[in-house]
Amino acid sequence: MLTHNIFLGILLASRYNFFILPLIIYFLSRQIGIMYIVTGIYLFYLFMPLILLLIGSFGSVWMNSLLPSGLTFQWYLDLWEDVSFRNAFMVSMKVVLATCVLSTFLSLPLAYALHKGTSKGVKIAGRVAFLLPIAVPPVVLAFGFILVFSSNALPWLGSIWLLIAGHVILTLPYLLNTLVSDMRHLRLDELELAAECLGASFFERFMDIIVPLVRHSLASGLIMVAALSIGEFQLSNLVSGFLSRNYPVVLLQAFYGATGFACAATVVLLSLAIVAAFSGALTARSTSRYRRK
Amino acid sequence: MAIQIKNVTYTYPKTDVGVFDVNMTIKDGEILAVIGSSGSGKTTLLKLIAGILMPRKGVILLDGKDVTPLPAKDRQLGIVFQSYALFPHMTAWQNISYPLKVRKVPITERRRLAEEALERVGLKGFADRHPLTLSGGQQQRIALARALIFQPKALLLDEPLSALDAGLRGEMRDEIQRLQREYHIATMHITHDQEEALSMADRIAVMESGKVIQLAPPQELYDFPVTCSVARFVGKSNLWEGVVRSHKSVKVPFGELKTAPHSYPVGNNVGVLVRPERVRIGAHPDNTNTVRGVVKRDRFMGSVRLFDIVIGKSVIMGETGIRDSIDAVHIPPDSIQLIGD
Repeated sequence: MLTHNIFLGILLASRYNFFILPLIIYFLSRQIGIMYIVTGIYLFYLFMPLILLLIGSFGSVWMNSLLPSGLTFQWYLDLWEDVSFRNAFMVSMKVVLATCVLSTFLSLPLAYALHKGTSKGVKIAGRVAFLLPIAVPPVVLAFGFILVFSSNALPWLGSIWLLIAGHVILTLPYLLNTLVSDMRHLRLDELELAAECLGASFFERFMDIIVPLVRHSLASGLIMVAALSIGEFQLSNLVSGFLSRNYPVVLLQAFYGATGFACAATVVLLSLAIVAAFSGALTARSTSRYRRK
Repeated sequence: MAIQIKNVTYTYPKTDVGVFDVNMTIKDGEILAVIGSSGSGKTTLLKLIAGILMPRKGVILLDGKDVTPLPAKDRQLGIVFQSYALFPHMTAWQNISYPLKVRKVPITERRRLAEEALERVGLKGFADRHPLTLSGGQQQRIALARALIFQPKALLLDEPLSALDAGLRGEMRDEIQRLQREYHIATMHITHDQEEALSMADRIAVMESGKVIQLAPPQELYDFPVTCSVARFVGKSNLWEGVVRSHKSVKVPFGELKTAPHSYPVGNNVGVLVRPERVRIGAHPDNTNTVRGVVKRDRFMGSVRLFDIVIGKSVIMGETGIRDSIDAVHIPPDSIQLIGD
């Protein structure tokens, strides 16, 4: 009954949403509470496209109708046999892996430095610098890359390494943010001081105390990095070369072909992203174990 | 091994807060308690000894060797922090054996020594537990075991009992004392609890505004405080402003009191100290130092009875085991101590 009401509300709302939607929400909220309605609407918008994609990827014909007709696995087989998609999938995997490894090595010392930074000015400058990639659209960054790396001095445009560098720059802020905010809650200074007094050198303290303590936030941060890197299109589209195109870039071409094929190709990307998101949620949950109550 | 602190001065950057010209020696096997209200510089002193802060002036000697320029990690001191600072991701035995790990002791040996240490602090069978699954007292024992396992040159305790509840505090007090004796190690115990200091320490240093005001064994500190603030800080006290009348008497707000012979000049302002347990119930046969007043508060505490007698604007606190009714008290002249400014 609940879903039926919400469904009806949204269907009506899409046509007369200016007048009707507030009315529907008002009446429904008296019946079942505003929280359920908001959650229902949110979940509908979130899952409907995904469900349609999934249905579309198994339907043989889908033209001018609400749902496709016929059941087939052909689109997935076609996708598997398509060399450019397989190649792109491998490129995506390589880029994700390299991005994660590089981000780890860069983010741990950087986050620690930002956490330890004694001068307020340095801290603010650091934060601004590492938040910039979030503020600047990836397209801008990509144009910069094109300008710099298409020159004769640095002719690296189109190489997979430039793509990886771009992904590292785009994802690092998210990882750093996760790490720095985690470090603030972990009483690191006190524990480090204790370790120092017990005879541990800086390197020992870093490896024995800091890295193990932030390992959960590092893991959840890395999953975010992976998820972002898997789906990154804006920058990748502009800086990847013909042989180093990642999955989302090649996926765009699928939309010009059969609907079922496009759906199947998108479902593959989607499943990867969902796996990343779920592992992220699970790691985040186990992080809370070492927090002071 | 002894700790010697010579003329140590430290001020926090851009302030005039710190410790000033501190001198003390903690002998081998001795517990020296440092007491003082918060902000008196006692934790600063501990940080200076630990090597967390560097003195601006003066030297710190460990076993006769100048360690002033050494960083904390090279000083070989066992420290127990107020919050214990146990590593949450390590188990009890890993925590205890961490100092051995950084000293490159092989893992089997480490485990054996940690098990031994756990047994010594009464936590056999807790080796594989994580600190957060242990009670405050158990965490405290782990922290102590960790501080002692590498045979440190001295032990520094930074308010180790303040996070425990009253019952456990007494138990841990004995435990710390027992371990300290067992290891026969020079120990500095920072605390703001004077009772804790009186009961545990061989000697006590009282700090105020970054300076050591008095350093003496507990009884001496209690019986002969050198300033009014020490008298007020250590134990309960009746402390009145007085003026010296003769070499055997002093004037206090509620009258004149006979004292034991003293050498303060006549007319001098002095602090007049009488410990509550020295106040006697009833009038003196010769009416010497006898005070009659109204009993304002009378609390029966089991073995003792605490009472306040009000005379005008003054209050005399008393402590006795006698349950009779009180209409007068007297103060034996030799129980009165004068403290010059």
